[in-house]
Amino acid sequence: MRVLEQAVVHFSRLCGIILLGAVLTVIGYLFVHGWSSLGLSLIFGATPPLDALLMKRHVFNGLFPAVAGTLSLVALAICWAVPMGMAAGIYLAEYAGPKIKAILNLFFDIMAGLPSIVVGLFGFAVAVFLNRRFSGAIHPCLLISSMALAFLVLPYITRTTQMALEGLPLSARMTALSLGASRLQNIVRVLVPQSLSGIVSGIILAIGRCAEDTAVIMLTGVVASTGVPRSLLSHYEALPFYIYYISAQYTNSEELASGYGAAIILLCICLVLFLLAFAIRKRISYHALYRA
Amino acid sequence: MNRTTEKGVEILFFCSAFISALLTLALFGFMLMLGLPLFAEGRFFSILTQPWAPHLGQFGIHPMIAGTLAISLLSMVFAFPLSLGCAILITVTSKGWVSRLLRKAVEMMTGIPTVIYGFVGIFLLVPLVREFFDAGSGMCVLTASLMLTLLVSPTMILFFCDSFERVPVAYGTAVLAVGGSEMQRFLHVTLPHSWPGILIGFTLSLGRALGDTLIALMIAGNAVQAPGSLLDSARTLTAHIALVFAADFESLEFKAIFACGIVLYLLTTLLVMAVRLLSGRKERWTR
Amino acid sequence: MVMDKTVKIRTENLCFSYNGRAILCNSSMDFADGEITAIVGPSGSGKSTFLLTLNRLWEAIPRCTLQGAVEMRFNGRYHDIYGRDYPVTRLRRQVGMVFQVPNPLPMSIYKNVAFPLQLKGGVPKENMRSRVEECLRQVRLWDEVQDRLHASALDLSGGQQQRLCIARALILRPEVLLLDEPTSALDHAAAKAIERLLLELKRSCTILLVSHYLDQVSRIADSVVELHNGRLVSKAEYD
Repeated sequence: MRVLEQAVVHFSRLCGIILLGAVLTVIGYLFVHGWSSLGLSLIFGATPPLDALLMKRHVFNGLFPAVAGTLSLVALAICWAVPMGMAAGIYLAEYAGPKIKAILNLFFDIMAGLPSIVVGLFGFAVAVFLNRRFSGAIHPCLLISSMALAFLVLPYITRTTQMALEGLPLSARMTALSLGASRLQNIVRVLVPQSLSGIVSGIILAIGRCAEDTAVIMLTGVVASTGVPRSLLSHYEALPFYIYYISAQYTNSEELASGYGAAIILLCICLVLFLLAFAIRKRISYHALYRA
Repeated sequence: MNRTTEKGVEILFFCSAFISALLTLALFGFMLMLGLPLFAEGRFFSILTQPWAPHLGQFGIHPMIAGTLAISLLSMVFAFPLSLGCAILITVTSKGWVSRLLRKAVEMMTGIPTVIYGFVGIFLLVPLVREFFDAGSGMCVLTASLMLTLLVSPTMILFFCDSFERVPVAYGTAVLAVGGSEMQRFLHVTLPHSWPGILIGFTLSLGRALGDTLIALMIAGNAVQAPGSLLDSARTLTAHIALVFAADFESLEFKAIFACGIVLYLLTTLLVMAVRLLSGRKERWTR
Repeated sequence: MVMDKTVKIRTENLCFSYNGRAILCNSSMDFADGEITAIVGPSGSGKSTFLLTLNRLWEAIPRCTLQGAVEMRFNGRYHDIYGRDYPVTRLRRQVGMVFQVPNPLPMSIYKNVAFPLQLKGGVPKENMRSRVEECLRQVRLWDEVQDRLHASALDLSGGQQQRLCIARALILRPEVLLLDEPTSALDHAAAKAIERLLLELKRSCTILLVSHYLDQVSRIADSVVELHNGRLVSKAEYD
């Protein structure tokens, strides 16, 4: 028996080493090859940064359009997803009866399990539908992509809101009610503010998910090169797609180096968002514990 | 806030939840509708078994189904023991700040985008596999599975850790009280009691592996044939959708991607149901 | 049976069950106005649950059912508090509640006490300020907190927090005050302060006090009711 226990201990250590080693190799490889390409020219190319930021001049061989595209995409997607997701989460936690809750939870679980490319397919199908029914001018674009991405992260936001609210103790729920609050007043003035840390960290993780996604945008309007997005109905560039595109279509070592640089930037964005989500949740729970 | 505003807001909440659920159904509906020409004359089942040869009029997605299953299942073969081992490392083998640090590291790994794994896979892992096995191009089932393992392991590890920690402490103290070690407590009490959670984590990660697009697209080779060996190039349903998307919209070839979408939708729904069943069993267990 | 005092609260054949398990059965009791009535009984007999039936707070807990009737006298008339046309929010403003464990909201001291007024709406800022001061004076907390009204309520001591919760419950001038073992989480001195407060309050409020400290009961209660096997039984009045 002692042999088994020792074996398991050694096995667990081995697994840890393999996993950490593999991931560190991936990240290290990226940095080693992309470090030299980091710099303002990676993002802005030959154009002076200030002119590019103020949209006075186009950037031709820099990542700025892709970065701008990703930022606009994420901002729009979050605008759709957060109100709807929080509303659905509040409904599930506070209003739904047990049967309806079970059915809706099933649907949200299915939504959460869908492959992202299937969600992209949905976005594309909607674009086709709108194109035929309403106006031939509608085609896969920034707007459609942002709505498809919103659908992708909707279950995350709904679930984190629902769980944050359901995690509140009964005493927290009853306090405002005993003072004459209506159900809605209780939710808006007491329950949601107290679950804010959970809800916000869920939103930040959703932001990360939107920033890194490639499959959805591939089917709903992203292109390799079109400049900064001109309008909601135009094509756009995005960082993750750029990385994918370059890996297949690079023609010289400079382009490849910019691919590495883009990968580093994307990785850093996602990791920073992750740390932020954790810091927010930790800070607020620390406060609560400290004051109690 | 008067009664009518309150009622209005409540209706808004209600609608948000229901519209979201309806969209999930609408997705399925759209795919059925758009793939309809391909399903005429009851060809749906033949699509699942035929090979893909558009120039011969064959739009079967069988090779892609085989590719998806091969890559995902192989990655689970690698990922399951790896994740279990790492979870044991975090919860049992290491203590204090080491354990916390490891857990933090795993949590951060969940934030790494898939396209990064694909990108590094192309330039680092593919040549390695090519050199090591001295065969093929290096873009094969094995390479894709290895990268997919790295993708799904962190979430699975965290899930396992959660399952272990949920086993009531009281159960295990009996083992310690008679002089047993932490590992003995783990093997005799914690592990047997967390099987439902472990199965759920496995199933959820399988779903994630089935649904991934970029890794398979970038490093599995994308050959349209059912893989015969680990070093064969293969194409998954997800990669197929991405690749055929470039074709002419009106063609039957294009409609086949909706068939892929339907298969993927049904597969993931099946897994979600399986998780539900297992969760129900877990509840009964812990009561 | 209460003879020469007005009945403020009357329950008739009250039955309450949680998760299928019966907690109260066929409880009928009258509670007199302007008195402190103590509710005693063995642990787990349903005393706290009984209080929840009087302000309908049990409705926030899933899997509970209630049968029977509860009437309260407001403005000279008896109202069925479970009646369709009696808004539950209005009931809870007329019936205040103080819990066993102090539960200040994560807000400043001032905001905590003013909160019920904000919920009700329609109270101008100046009135709010003076009412908050009035209530904090009533619970003898004003001198201790007047210079830090905007500090977090969570920083107060246990006894101060409980007095804060009482002030918060009083700000709407409820006619009935329900207290669920209000001093069990407090030290001796804080408990005595609360008992003194309750004796002053009974002039303006009907007070129902759940307590398992029999010396406390004998000190301040005018009547005692025992919850025994799910039924309310009135004991002889204490001197």
